[in-house]
Amino acid sequence: MDRKHIDYFISVLGKDNVLVTEEERICYSYDGTFNRGLPDVVLMPEKTEEVAKIMKYANEIKVPVFPRGAGTGLSGGSVPQDGGIALVLSRMNQIKEISREDLLVVAGPGVVTGKLHKAVEEEGLFYPPDPASSAVCTIGGNIAENAGGPRAFKYGVTRDYVLGLEVVTPTGDIMRTGGKTVKNVTGYDLTRLLTGSEGTLGVVTEVILRLVPKPQTKSTALIAFDKLVDAARAIGSIVANGIIPVTIELMDDTTIHCVEANNKIGLPLDVEAVLLIEVDGKAEQVKSDIEDIAEICRKEGASSVEVATDKAGMDRLWKGRRAVSASVLQLGPTKISEDATIPRSQIPAMVVKLKEIAKKYDIPMPIYGHAGDGNMHPNIVADKDNPEEMARVKKATDEIFEAALALGGTLSGEHGIGLMKKDYMEMAYGKVGVDYLKAIKKAVDPNNILNPGKVF
Amino acid sequence: MEKKEILTSELQKEFNKCSRCGTCMAHCPLYEATGMEAFVCRGKLELLTKIEKGEIAWTDKLAEIFSTCLLCGGCHYGCPNGVSGEKIIQLARKNMVETRGLGPIKKGVFQHLLNNNGTLNKAGKLMYLSSKFKVRPLMRSLGILKLFPKNLYDLEKMVPAFPKKNFRQLMADKLPQKELSNPRYTVAYFTGCVTQLMNPQVGVAIVDLLTANNVKIILPEQGCCGMPALANGDYKNGLDLVRKNVESFQKEKVDYIITDCASCLGAWEEYPEYLQDESVKELTDKVMDINRFLIEVLDVHFEPQLADGEKPIKVTYHDPCHLKRTPGGKTCPRELLKRLAPKYEFVEMKFADSCCGSAGSFMITHYDVANKIGEKKYKAARESGANIVTSACPTCIMHLADGLQEDKNIEVKHVVELAASCLPKEQQTKIK
Ligand SMILES: Cc1cc2nc3c(=O)[nH]c(=O)nc-3n(C[C@H](O)[C@H](O)[C@H](O)COP(=O)(O)OP(=O)(O)OC[C@H]3O[C@@H](n4cnc5c(N)ncnc54)[C@H](O)[C@@H]3O)c2cc1C
Ligand code: SF4
Ligand code: SF4
Repeated sequence: MDRKHIDYFISVLGKDNVLVTEEERICYSYDGTFNRGLPDVVLMPEKTEEVAKIMKYANEIKVPVFPRGAGTGLSGGSVPQDGGIALVLSRMNQIKEISREDLLVVAGPGVVTGKLHKAVEEEGLFYPPDPASSAVCTIGGNIAENAGGPRAFKYGVTRDYVLGLEVVTPTGDIMRTGGKTVKNVTGYDLTRLLTGSEGTLGVVTEVILRLVPKPQTKSTALIAFDKLVDAARAIGSIVANGIIPVTIELMDDTTIHCVEANNKIGLPLDVEAVLLIEVDGKAEQVKSDIEDIAEICRKEGASSVEVATDKAGMDRLWKGRRAVSASVLQLGPTKISEDATIPRSQIPAMVVKLKEIAKKYDIPMPIYGHAGDGNMHPNIVADKDNPEEMARVKKATDEIFEAALALGGTLSGEHGIGLMKKDYMEMAYGKVGVDYLKAIKKAVDPNNILNPGKVF
Repeated sequence: MEKKEILTSELQKEFNKCSRCGTCMAHCPLYEATGMEAFVCRGKLELLTKIEKGEIAWTDKLAEIFSTCLLCGGCHYGCPNGVSGEKIIQLARKNMVETRGLGPIKKGVFQHLLNNNGTLNKAGKLMYLSSKFKVRPLMRSLGILKLFPKNLYDLEKMVPAFPKKNFRQLMADKLPQKELSNPRYTVAYFTGCVTQLMNPQVGVAIVDLLTANNVKIILPEQGCCGMPALANGDYKNGLDLVRKNVESFQKEKVDYIITDCASCLGAWEEYPEYLQDESVKELTDKVMDINRFLIEVLDVHFEPQLADGEKPIKVTYHDPCHLKRTPGGKTCPRELLKRLAPKYEFVEMKFADSCCGSAGSFMITHYDVANKIGEKKYKAARESGANIVTSACPTCIMHLADGLQEDKNIEVKHVVELAASCLPKEQQTKIK
């Protein structure tokens, strides 16, 4: 990048917040996928005004800007394309206000989600969205991707907690949307439009998030089923009985075998599926809910039920689920984590279809995920350096998306479109829909400066 | 550019498993202090992929990035895919040194201060002179200080005043008197550089504790454990030291080998791997941290009394990275402190097990960053209300003492020093 531009950025941000060497830039050329793109410069602003200045300047010199939180995205959303500016927001990491009366928190976009959890829980409050990457990912990234997580079944996703935003528009102006009230119908609901916009419509520089009181207690059950269809039916029965667990996680037989091979937790190896179910709330409610769940599952054909109510016991049951993502790597070095999502009632049909696809293309595909809300994570394990295999992977992925759409589902439940799924957008959205999206983008970002090449 | 083979085949397999998930960022003290992705495992592994493929070469910048790592293993511990970041980074440094030699700063530190016994003593004397007579110009003229970046001119402040006699000199005429007629065990003591040269009172405390418990202690010929050199990629000098230590200790017939230094312990445990020699395991299996030895093997007990009106002294404890993940590494030092009641009262401090930032020679070569990491720790130590902060690693102790030097009411000591002070008076050796 031209020295003149670098000097300008240094004048705005200071030398320490402008990274120019190739070695440092390489460290911002990736996210949690295998996509790569080397930025020409890395900028780390600390204030909204700095972000605004960067955006204005980028429009003048016509250089694209790629917002980045912690770079844990699973769709290539923050990865630069053909150079440009990597705009890293992790330094805007202040928690500015926690209000017990208004039940809200005001924070910078760079606050790590897990740190926000901790801070509000110390005040007896609770911020439910809990992507599995919470220990590292940022609130800004969560908003841009509308991140979910295991607790989404009961509590919903990020979008359900965003009350208001401060954003820098793609042309470099500062705007506020929403506010501190739960009810707000003043104008279009831009807060919702920006939530899940994958950093293409504005740079989030401050967020106001809704909180709920912290649940008193929780309890976890690990339930094994000889037949996968029974497990799927049990999920329906639980919901039909009026119980809404926080989480219902499913692991199929391939997944169970991978986990056991690495960890020796004692999961049953002769079953087709296990469910991990967690409930929370007042102590008595939790107790009766978990008993009811155990009862329902037994009736639906569960072969074993194990319940834990203390922290150590729950940790043990969760250990297997936490080990999944690493354990499946024994099947191959590259993991492609899909998150096609379907209506809950279609889970059995989807699982059957996924198994067919895995067999047809001869690709290991452990299936697990947030079964409670139909957000499955079929994981294709392959070797990215093997072109022949990757060609099969591409075909399998196509069929997974087709299957999900055919069952009334969607391409992505929580990871976003980014680079990875944009080729499928028209299939999911139709041409009219995609044109509508493009029209919005063009209206607010006439020079196509902010995160170009993503989503569509 | 040509492709490079940097890792062992086993580590290469682990390396390939890194999915760039970023979880290591939550476990890296350096990332927490700097917020720079080049300084965390994930960034370095991406760079290493490019080095392996020959797409980038060992520039000064790259060398600086790879030098900036505490090898604390936080990333490894947190990695869902079990990637040993610290081992991979260390081997990358080896390749770096093979390719472009040790940088001038590192060379200075190792050759003048840390390399082997001889040079250490010379540098040690120099340091002692410097702190006593403020003869920094002398050091400068000898070319040591010149080698450090500007902020390291503070080095002198950090290194404690050198005692006149080092540990082994102090013990030379005393150990024979401590001959026991029918000892429970015979142990060899690997003293480590800091105890040997700077904190002989730690060594003396250990001799007293073991003698009081009817354990015979011997001090075989030994040098530096090799870790400072190895950690920085200088495998030639590092392996030399390792080999010499192994040869010397193999000559002795002992039940255990004890150390008071978590980093030396970590190094010894890796000796078979460094030497690619499984048979060395027979020796290294005997190595044990002193705290664990006192608690698990000897099951020591003390009867310290409070004089009338005397209050217990509050003590807290910092977990060295290289001890906390070993068997009994977290529990034994605490248990030992608890057994010193009522003279000492153990209180847990916040962030007790987070890295202090010392990491051997890192605190010398990266003084500013090391201090930034330490700040959280210093604050927690102050808030704990303890009058004594203890640890079980001499470099952590040095670093904490440096950070807490303004706090006149807080002392930083090795756990064994407190334990020895609870022995009956006649069992304590007096040193001047
Ligand atoms: C191990 C692992 C587990 C995961 N588990 C889950 C899960 O359970 N649920 C889930 O939903 N996701 C999950 N993810 C995906 C990922 O963590 C989320 O998408 C997360 O929200 C990304 O946050 P980030 O800060 O890393 O953002 P990045 O990856 O840096 O960026 C993601 C997108 O947000 C944009 N962006 C970032 N900050 C801003 C900002 N301030 N303003 C505007 N745009 C911005 C970027 O341009 C990009 O498009 C997981 C990822 C990993 C690696
Ligand atoms: S936690 Fe492990 S797999 Fe994830 S980026 Fe770090 S080293 Fe790689
Ligand atoms: S060894 Fe420690 S300092 Fe180095 S990358 Fe890992 S966690 Fe960070």
